[in-house]
Amino acid sequence: MTETEEKADPPAVMIEPIDISKLDPDFREGIRSMPNGEELSACFACSTCTAACPIANTWKYKPHQLIRMILLGMREEVLSSEEIWLCLTCFECQERCPQNVRVTDIFFDCKNLAAEEGMIPDSIVGLAKELVDKGQLYVVTADWEREDMDLEPEVPGLSTEEFKTILKGTRTGQIVGGDE
Amino acid sequence: MKTVVSDPVLVIGAGVAGLTAATQLADSGIRTVLVDRLPIVGGNAMDLYKAFPTDDCFYCFEGSRTRPGIRKCFYRSAILDQPNIDLKVNAEVTEISGSPGKFQAKLSVGPQYIDSKKCIMCGLCIERSKSFSLPSPQCQPQAVIYDPELSDEGAKKAEEECPTKAINLGAQPSEETVQISDIVIATGYHEMKPVSIDEYGYGKIPNVVTQLELAQILDPNGKSGGALVRPSDGGQVKRVMMVQCVGSRDENYYPFCSKICCVYALKHANIIMLERDSVQVAVVYMDIRTYDRHERYYRVARDAGVRFVRGRVSRLEACEDGTLDIIAYDSLLDKYLKFNVDLFVLSSALEPPKGSAELIKSLGLHSASGFVGPADSISENAVVAGDHVYVCGAATGPAEIPESVTQARAVVSMILQSRK
Repeated sequence: MTETEEKADPPAVMIEPIDISKLDPDFREGIRSMPNGEELSACFACSTCTAACPIANTWKYKPHQLIRMILLGMREEVLSSEEIWLCLTCFECQERCPQNVRVTDIFFDCKNLAAEEGMIPDSIVGLAKELVDKGQLYVVTADWEREDMDLEPEVPGLSTEEFKTILKGTRTGQIVGGDE
Repeated sequence: MKTVVSDPVLVIGAGVAGLTAATQLADSGIRTVLVDRLPIVGGNAMDLYKAFPTDDCFYCFEGSRTRPGIRKCFYRSAILDQPNIDLKVNAEVTEISGSPGKFQAKLSVGPQYIDSKKCIMCGLCIERSKSFSLPSPQCQPQAVIYDPELSDEGAKKAEEECPTKAINLGAQPSEETVQISDIVIATGYHEMKPVSIDEYGYGKIPNVVTQLELAQILDPNGKSGGALVRPSDGGQVKRVMMVQCVGSRDENYYPFCSKICCVYALKHANIIMLERDSVQVAVVYMDIRTYDRHERYYRVARDAGVRFVRGRVSRLEACEDGTLDIIAYDSLLDKYLKFNVDLFVLSSALEPPKGSAELIKSLGLHSASGFVGPADSISENAVVAGDHVYVCGAATGPAEIPESVTQARAVVSMILQSRK
C-alpha cells in the first residue's frame, strides 16, 4: 500500500474525495463570528435538527449535513445549495437542538452571504422583483372573495408606493438589480 | 478463615491502583510487599503526560494533598519513608502457592544495579555511558536506571567514579519466597500495539503512532521538550489525524470498548490545538464516548476547532516527504474526504497485560475478556476476585485514575475489615 510503484494503480476509492486542503477554513470562522454563529462549533452531529425538520426528507443535504459542511469549510457547496433557500424557517430545528446551535438563524446568515455573492435561485429573485415592482407579494386578484364577505372590492387605504421606494433602497432592490 | 495478622499483603503492580492500595494499607499498619516488573513505579500513568480528569501530573490528584511531601506529591514520601512498604522493582511474581489467607509467593527480583538509597541523581554516570538514564525527574525510586543491553566502556568508568558508590554492575538476580495473607492484583492494562491491523500501517510507517506514544511526544520531559514533532525526521507537525476504536469494539481483536481512549484522545487533541502553535487536528470516530463528566473534553475540542469526522479511514498512503495522504469516509455527509497529515495517531485498544491469563489461571479466578473478573458476578463486590484475592484499577478492565483509586481504597477497606 505504501510502495511508490503501486501509485499508478487505479484508486481504491473510485469517487473522487473532497480535498480538505482546498476547502475554506475561514468560512467556519466567518459564520461563527456572526451573532447567530456563537454555538456553531458545539454541533456534535446528533441530527436532531434533521429529525425535527418537516421538509428535509426531500433535501439532498440535510440540516445536520449543512452544519457539518460549514464546520469543514465547504463554502461553495453550502452557499450554492438550494436547501438554505427551501428552509421554511419554522425554527423547529433550532428549538430542539440540544447544543443550542441556532440552525435556522445560521441558514439566514448563509442566505445573506449567498446573496452578497449573487448566488440566489431565480425563484427568489422573482419574488424580490414582485416585491419591488408591486410593493406586495400577494396581490388580491379574486375580488369575489371580498365580495362574498361583503367587503368593498379594493383594500381601503392600501398604498404600496412607500414600500416600493423603501425596498428599492434595500438589498431586495440590489437583488433585483435596481439602483446601485 | 482467620488471617495471621502479621503476614504482609502482596500488591502486584505499582501503578495508580497498586500504589494507592499499598500506601493506604501501610498507613493502616499493615505490611505490604509491592512488586512491579518495571524499574520505576507509576505504571502507565508515568507516560500520560497530563492525566484526566484533572489535567495534572498523576501524582497529584485531589484528596492526596494533605500528606507531607514535596509539593503535593505524596507518593514520594510514602515510598521513601513508609517502613511498612517493601517495594520491589524489576521484580515479578513467578509462582503463588498455599491456601487463601496463607499464600506463599515466589518472587524473581532482577539485578539491582543501582542502589536507589545511595543514588543522588548527579548525572555523572549518564555522561559516561548511555546505558544509564533517568526516566523522569519525578521517578520513584529516585534513582537512575541501568540497561545492561547498552553497556559499554563508559559504564565501567561510571561505576568507579560514582561519588556515592551506588552502582554495582556485577549485581545478580535473586529469588525469594514471601509468606502473605492477601493478594491485591493491580496489574493494570497494556496499550495494544496495532501491528496486525494492516490498513493503518503501524510499525511500518514511522509517523503512525499510538496515543500513549503521542503523550510521550507531548511531554515536556520528552526528547523534543514537548514540541510536537514527527518521529520520522523531527520535523514540525502541522496536521494530525486521530482514529478511534483501533482494535476496540472489534470482534477480531477486543470486543469491548476501551472506555478511556476517547477521553485521552480528546485530551491530546485539546493540548495540541490550544497549547501548540497552529496545528490542525482531525478525529475520525464511530462514536465519541466521553462518558460522564468527561463530556467537557468533547465540548472543549469542538470549540477549539478539532475536525470530527464520523466514519472510518478508507485508505492511507505514505508520501515521499514523510506526510500521509489519507482518505476517510464521512458517514454523516456520505462523502469521502482527503487529508494530508504529518502524524497519524491510533487510539489503540487497552488489553490485559502480559501474564494476566497465567495469573488468572493459577489463582482460579474469573476472566472478564482477559481482565480479572469478580468472584461473584451477581454481588456488587467488583474488587473481590477470590478468597483473600482482590483486584483494583485497570486490572479489572480499562479504568480511569479516580476509578482506580476508589477501587484500591475499597480493597484496603475490605482487607481491614477482614482483620478486625
